[in-house]
Amino acid sequence: MDLFLQQLANGLVIGSTYAVVAIGFALAFTVLRVINFAHPDILMVGMFTGLVAAVEWPALGFLVVLAAGALGAGLVGFALERTVIAPLRGRDVLMTLIGTLGVAIMLQNGMAVIAGPDPIAYPALIPRRFVDIGPVTLTLRQVLNFAICLALLALVSLYVRCTAWGRATRAIAERPDVAAAFGVNVSRICQFTILLASMMGGVAAVSVGVLYGSAHAFIGLLYGLKAFICMLVAGNRYFEGVMVVGLAIGFIEALVTGYVSSSLRDAAAFFVLIGVLYFRPNGLFGSYAT
Amino acid sequence: MNVASLEPVVIFTLLNVCMALGLYITALSGQLSMATAAIAGVGGYLSAILTVKFGWPLLPATTIAALAGAAVGTVLALVTLKMRDFILKLTTLAFGEALSVLAFNWDYIGGANSFTGIELKTTIWTALAAMLIALYAAWRFDGSRLGFASRAVRDDPLAAGAMGVSIAQVRTVTFALGAALVGMGGAIQGHYVLVISPHDLGFFVSLNFIIFLLFGGLQTMWGPVVGAILLTALPEILRFSNQYRLILYGLVIVLVVLRRPDGLLTRTPTGRAVRLSRWTLIPARPVNVPLEQRNRPLPASLRRVADSVPLRAAAQ
Repeated sequence: MDLFLQQLANGLVIGSTYAVVAIGFALAFTVLRVINFAHPDILMVGMFTGLVAAVEWPALGFLVVLAAGALGAGLVGFALERTVIAPLRGRDVLMTLIGTLGVAIMLQNGMAVIAGPDPIAYPALIPRRFVDIGPVTLTLRQVLNFAICLALLALVSLYVRCTAWGRATRAIAERPDVAAAFGVNVSRICQFTILLASMMGGVAAVSVGVLYGSAHAFIGLLYGLKAFICMLVAGNRYFEGVMVVGLAIGFIEALVTGYVSSSLRDAAAFFVLIGVLYFRPNGLFGSYAT
Repeated sequence: MNVASLEPVVIFTLLNVCMALGLYITALSGQLSMATAAIAGVGGYLSAILTVKFGWPLLPATTIAALAGAAVGTVLALVTLKMRDFILKLTTLAFGEALSVLAFNWDYIGGANSFTGIELKTTIWTALAAMLIALYAAWRFDGSRLGFASRAVRDDPLAAGAMGVSIAQVRTVTFALGAALVGMGGAIQGHYVLVISPHDLGFFVSLNFIIFLLFGGLQTMWGPVVGAILLTALPEILRFSNQYRLILYGLVIVLVVLRRPDGLLTRTPTGRAVRLSRWTLIPARPVNVPLEQRNRPLPASLRRVADSVPLRAAAQ
């Protein structure tokens, strides 16, 4: 039982990161009808700007480094929206997918030129310490990563449900033309959505960098496909559904690693996807009409 | 740069053209499959088993690979027959990943260690032959009744059905024919690379072929050809700036998507056919371009109102 609880905790920590990345995908896809394949690499940029801030000014402290990550990722995300996504709006989903994929290739290899293709050690901003929570033992970094990701998810949920802009966001997701007719500034909301997704991703990326102690130019590939699957499994009608599925997929992966075999770990998400698509093609929680 | 160092580039270009044309035929009826690499992998694994474990020559093994590709394509087409566009893509994607996982865990075909020990049987001429077969098939298909029926099914299944086109038949045949070409290409590629790993079946490899198509343009069969040639050769051409070549590669893709959203090669503006003596290279434009797809710049005063309209076109 203790082993099970430990797996559960580990899975939830990984799953919370998936959930944050998946929410970024879901925001872009729901509001702009764009599969933003550059999103995981925007996270990677945030991870590196955080690293640079932490190395250059060691006195800054963890919160400022998180902000630096958000700033770096936000800038890249905003530039991406202005230069690639906005001109392609209204085009086929696949065109924007390819366009953002081109940006992703540029970001990955550009960062590999700047920082080198090998992983770089991340500064130890949080002490390496163990925390006992009942029968479960986690590192302080894991707890912090989980807390940060949950806070980000809660913020997104609050923003979407309880603010005027959030309401406009949901209106655009449902019917962009009607939303525009009711006076919503569609392109402004679209810009802000990408900015929000990128900044959140940047914060999560810094915390992931601290958690694993390394940053890597190609780390986006690790999270991209899985976060994409989380979004598909959940459907994009409820952002909260995407969060739950992100956590669940992390949990399932931990169980598969623990009880079946670690080589099947990456396949687990796909089996979930096939199963869900077969019975509920619009995702577990339903999707907006596409 | 000597000729010998060019051989791999030429062979990969030829094979990519072959497989891109296979995907083009499949996509013509509106089924932009995301399992191209998986079908190529089925062909590759199968032909490799036949030549390595049973000592077959390349030609029959490739034939069987093409048939197996067609069989897989038929099954995929039948499974996805009733699905909407986006769900169809996801199902083919999931199918490809499932095959990749299967290959990963099947020890008979090497499992995670890849299938090794394949003999080098592919020459530049084999690859050229495969490309010519694919080119001929796509060219004949493009102008045939079935070709026009597939475009009709892609543009409006309901109207096509009302005109007496069997949607099920068209979609199955196009998927099978395209998949056969892809399986053939995969088999020949396997006998050149000499290793087939489960990762070759995955999503990102399949995505490459979709990029070939959209980069070159889907309006004529020459689009995929140009896309495959340029994008296979481009990283090699850019070798002079080794460090930056992938950045430039990404930049080229982004620029083409932004500047030529219908792909590099589009139909002639008048929609007239292009003929070379008695052969029709590009058939005349069969349908009118829908209003919302004509991309004209709007005056700034209208832009904000129009902002939301294209979104609906994407949403349909």
